[in-house]
Amino acid sequence: MIATIALRVVLVGFGPVGARLVEGLLPDVRSGAVRLTVVGAESVEAYNRVLVAEYAVGRADRDGMVVTDAAAAEAAGVRLALGVTVTAIDRARQTVTLSDGTVEAYDRVVLATGARANVPTLYGVDRPTPSRSAPARAAELLDTGTTPLPAGITVLRDLADAERVQEAVRKRRRIVVLGAGVLGLELALASAAEGADVCVVHHGEIPMARNLDRGGGLVLARALARAGVSVVAHSRAEGVGFRLTAEGTPTFDAVLCADGKSIAGDLLVLSCGVSARTELAHLAGLPVSTGILVDRRLRSWGDDAISAIGDCAHVVERPDAVGSGAFAVPPGAPSGLIGPGWRQADWLARSISAEAVSAAEPEPLADERAGVVMLKAEDVDVVAVGSAFPDPWDAEPIDVRNGRPARQVSQWADPEHGSYVKLVTRGGVLEGLVCIGMPRTAAELTLLFERGSELPADRSVLLRHDGPDATPASASAASAPEATVCWCNGVTVGHVHDSVRDGAETVACVSAATRAGTGCGGCKGRIAELLDLFASTDGTQEVVV
Amino acid sequence: MTLLPATTPAPDATAAPTDTHCPYCALQCAMTLTPSGAEPATAAADAGPSRRAAPEAGPRPALPLTVSGRTFPTNRGGLCKKGWTSAALLGSPDRILEPMARTEDGTFAPVSWDAALDRIADTLRRTRQRHGADAVGVFGGGGLTNEKAYQLGKFARVALGTSRIDYNGRFCMSSAAAAGTRAFGVDRGLPFPVEHLGRASTILMLGSNVAETMPPFIGHLEGARAAGGLFVVDPRRSATARLTDDGAGMHLQATPGSDLVLLLGLLHIVIAEKLVDADYVAERTVGFDDVRRSVSTWWPERVQSVTGVPTWQLRMLARRLADGRGSYILTGRGVEQHVDGTDTTTAAINLALVLGLVGTDGSGYGTLTGQGNGQGGREHGQKADQLPGYRKITDPAARAHVAGVWGIDPADLPGAGIPAVELLHSLGQPGGVRCLLVHGSNLVVSAPNADRVRAALATLDLLVVCDFFFSETAAMADLVLPVTQWAEEEGTMTNLEGRVLRRRRALDAPDGVRSELWILSELARRLESPSTFSTDSREVFDELARASEGGLADYSGISHDLLDTGRPVYWPFPSGSAGTPRLFHDRFAHADGRARIVPVTPRPSVHTPTDGHVRHRGDELHRTGTMTLITGRLLEHYQSGAQTRRVDELLAAQPEARAQLHPATAVRLGIADGAAIEVSNARGIVRCRASVTTGIRPDTVFLPFHFPADQRANLLTSDATDPISGMPEFKTAAVTVRPMEASA
Repeated sequence: MIATIALRVVLVGFGPVGARLVEGLLPDVRSGAVRLTVVGAESVEAYNRVLVAEYAVGRADRDGMVVTDAAAAEAAGVRLALGVTVTAIDRARQTVTLSDGTVEAYDRVVLATGARANVPTLYGVDRPTPSRSAPARAAELLDTGTTPLPAGITVLRDLADAERVQEAVRKRRRIVVLGAGVLGLELALASAAEGADVCVVHHGEIPMARNLDRGGGLVLARALARAGVSVVAHSRAEGVGFRLTAEGTPTFDAVLCADGKSIAGDLLVLSCGVSARTELAHLAGLPVSTGILVDRRLRSWGDDAISAIGDCAHVVERPDAVGSGAFAVPPGAPSGLIGPGWRQADWLARSISAEAVSAAEPEPLADERAGVVMLKAEDVDVVAVGSAFPDPWDAEPIDVRNGRPARQVSQWADPEHGSYVKLVTRGGVLEGLVCIGMPRTAAELTLLFERGSELPADRSVLLRHDGPDATPASASAASAPEATVCWCNGVTVGHVHDSVRDGAETVACVSAATRAGTGCGGCKGRIAELLDLFASTDGTQEVVV
Repeated sequence: MTLLPATTPAPDATAAPTDTHCPYCALQCAMTLTPSGAEPATAAADAGPSRRAAPEAGPRPALPLTVSGRTFPTNRGGLCKKGWTSAALLGSPDRILEPMARTEDGTFAPVSWDAALDRIADTLRRTRQRHGADAVGVFGGGGLTNEKAYQLGKFARVALGTSRIDYNGRFCMSSAAAAGTRAFGVDRGLPFPVEHLGRASTILMLGSNVAETMPPFIGHLEGARAAGGLFVVDPRRSATARLTDDGAGMHLQATPGSDLVLLLGLLHIVIAEKLVDADYVAERTVGFDDVRRSVSTWWPERVQSVTGVPTWQLRMLARRLADGRGSYILTGRGVEQHVDGTDTTTAAINLALVLGLVGTDGSGYGTLTGQGNGQGGREHGQKADQLPGYRKITDPAARAHVAGVWGIDPADLPGAGIPAVELLHSLGQPGGVRCLLVHGSNLVVSAPNADRVRAALATLDLLVVCDFFFSETAAMADLVLPVTQWAEEEGTMTNLEGRVLRRRRALDAPDGVRSELWILSELARRLESPSTFSTDSREVFDELARASEGGLADYSGISHDLLDTGRPVYWPFPSGSAGTPRLFHDRFAHADGRARIVPVTPRPSVHTPTDGHVRHRGDELHRTGTMTLITGRLLEHYQSGAQTRRVDELLAAQPEARAQLHPATAVRLGIADGAAIEVSNARGIVRCRASVTTGIRPDTVFLPFHFPADQRANLLTSDATDPISGMPEFKTAAVTVRPMEASA
């Protein structure tokens, strides 16, 4: 049945998660069940932000990052308002106001406003302060407020940021990356691979400290060095020094550290995490923590007509006390990963679609498992999942264990050859893992984690995927009696040996006796080798394995 | 003892050797048959002598014919074990030598041909009168000659007036056919001669174990292997995967059912690394922008986390395919026999198109057809929605043309029928099929969710099976009609390249055995059918050629005489042309001459017809305690094994189903190599032995599908189907594995 009155949906934000929602709603837009308006601050089509570091070093082009077909969406009846922002949500009247002054009525609002890059407190850099009470009226000021970053300093979040980096890479400038999280390292590794001189500055002992345990971090640090990225650890950046360009404008010159070090460069990339864009929700009086608080039906704790998905959404079960306004701000934060955002978009599209045609709402979104963090880099393989901080000998307090099977930790470390694996399991099922320098093992462990499958009791089985014995084709195995010589006829070394013992002396004789070599003929060389081998062992001994 | 029954006519000792092709797979290896007693034909230069004793087989029984390999581009004189032993079936003691009718007590008794055909015709006529024409169904096979396949389709539409015809190719080539047609406008398995593969630097094989299924084919992989460029995607370390060892290439051991994602990931890399053949894409294709958008979300690390294939392998493969030194992409049933098989094949085609491989010198895309006449069998009217020449039965112009050839009113032709799984589900149901004729197919073993099919067959008013032996399906029939084997008949086959080949008679069939052409002619006469039903394969072929004229698979310029000249004949071969060894060199078959790049994405859910529930793919596969079942073939056996299980040498080498398990899994489940185990799910239980090998993933179990009774792998496979092609999900099923309890 088609609803006679369309459900009016306003989507705020047209990034990869918003685009996924649009895709999911297209059939209902086409049928007229949903009237969808999309408000996007960037005036370009939605693109895959995951590839922004690759774009920054010139490896991806913009066309290859686009995830939507705006023309097709518009043809289906979606109304796209790009290059504008939503400045207010009037929940009482159920309208949103756009920065160009338009007012849109809604039945449902979906906030997919994403996150902005953090700018740390640095002497010499004015921190942008987007107002929590008055969202930017111009799209380009959404994250910077009225104070853009000084020349030579950038974050890495959108295409314009990436283009700044691209220029530095192209001109072989020296790039300083502040922060050793996943994005910072991906950028550093990609820039180094493209020939840039790049240095990562971070204040801890190990890179990717949020995701890796100490052993994993130390192995990764060595891998980074081998890949040509210099890493300056234990360095708290306090300020930025500037030099004057030929035109007389001050531009980035060096990072000044608390211990007095000064790390010079031409471009400073701030890679210090992201924060959800929550001000629109906040302004509308909706509960906000590190993200917009939504329940497992992705509806705002404060208003069932408003949903949030992606990097701006913090999914937590709604407490009973929300109505009174008296509730504790829950711990945790949006995951910052794209996978959960897409799953949220898919679920919400189904939910809105069901509402539009008066069907039953889908089951609430299942709890997300810990996200799989993979470093996107060609020569450095890092996979980290969940919490891999416990050590094999750490005892787990009984109250933490709380009736569950005991936690078990297995570990393999070979720093000299750059490989490291830690497996944290409970009841044989992975809760966390770190895997460095062992790509096939990492791929396998990722699958086992994603599926919640039980690991083999002998964990060392899992470590062999990258070993030479994973392809059992050594010279000795090839002459084992059961090794196949002729695939076409299923003839083994043993059969050939029997025929030699029975008097076959040439390849043709062996073929006549066993059919080996009478299919595709590709094994005739092998038969000749075996004849030599058997001749050298007198043809009478058993084949030596 | 001799295996020759007295009824087999003694071969003419003076008869000349006969050049023909192998009875089994789509490679259709060339062979020469020499009547025993005559001098064997001189073997091809690069093949050995014609008769060999395998060490384990002991002395061979006397056979009516000797088989020798014959030099030909496909097999270059070689044959595999199945081909060498193929003559054993001609004189098999199991051979049915007269029509057999089921008796009251469930056993079979011989009846005369007249009695059998009268009873069939009476029942079919009564059923049609009482329940309508669609109450009679026909199930064909990809092993039938072009002439039989054509005649069967015509018989169904004209003599029976039914739309209910489909065939076992639905279980084989339907996804590749649908994808090929969608992309190129025409479906010919290999749009190039197979020997072109020999010059390739890189060959990517997805879900195909040619080293066991069509072994002489691997000779064509030698060039790529020598160049280090054979890439095999398979969840198992199959015999073909092992051909990549020692620097010959690389095995990508993707998890079952993840092929589509793997291909999207490869295309992502190709686009990201600017390996696209932009001129080709601009000039010869449409749809690239949509596909570019659709793969932008499949970056390598994400693909790794779904497929288990590390990113470096993905990158290396993508770069290698794009290096311009000659690359081919070939798909097989492993990626096609899924509920998303059409989309997966489309993703492979998209990759080939974006790299500019298709129709380009030294490069290409192809699908490896499985059954002997899997190609021709899908062109001439066995398919529910097709008329001869790969025409659509719903196209008024096609109906008019074919009805003209058949001398009937186009309005009398039925419309499109329903694909195989749906057809089988309708058996015995209200409004469904009540009488079924089965030709060249062993459904009880080969159909998915086999026990459901078996139960459905038991509800029929009449089941007629044409076969050489009491196959598991024939054993359920009301009437079994004995038919000729390959060496006893004339006709044509179309091999995996779309090359039309002559099958020739080397000896006379036993007295009581008839050709399907004769059976269909006799039935048509008894049913007072319009049109004519020749019993002569030459005449039938000429009619087929006329019926196909102007269609996609145009055979109008081909005749038995032309084929007998030995000239290579590839379709389309319109009258007056020289045929088409290579397709797509200048244009694709769509009206605008361009190929379609069609965006495809993994679908999260599948529809299971059994219970009507929509469930997420992977949900049941990856539940704790369940394993993924994959199925496939062994070197020694062909399809349901109805033939090869009756060849002593082949049965001795592979006497029973063995389920492959990883050692880590075997230890966990307490299963030793060779132990009796049960592999089960809600659809059925397979009882067989375990074979413990590191060549399989720990979460996966492999079963060959050749074996009968409670060793049938298809007891466990799902009859969920691909929405586009109707292909069932043969290649992944959730199962549990346990040791069998010790029986008293």
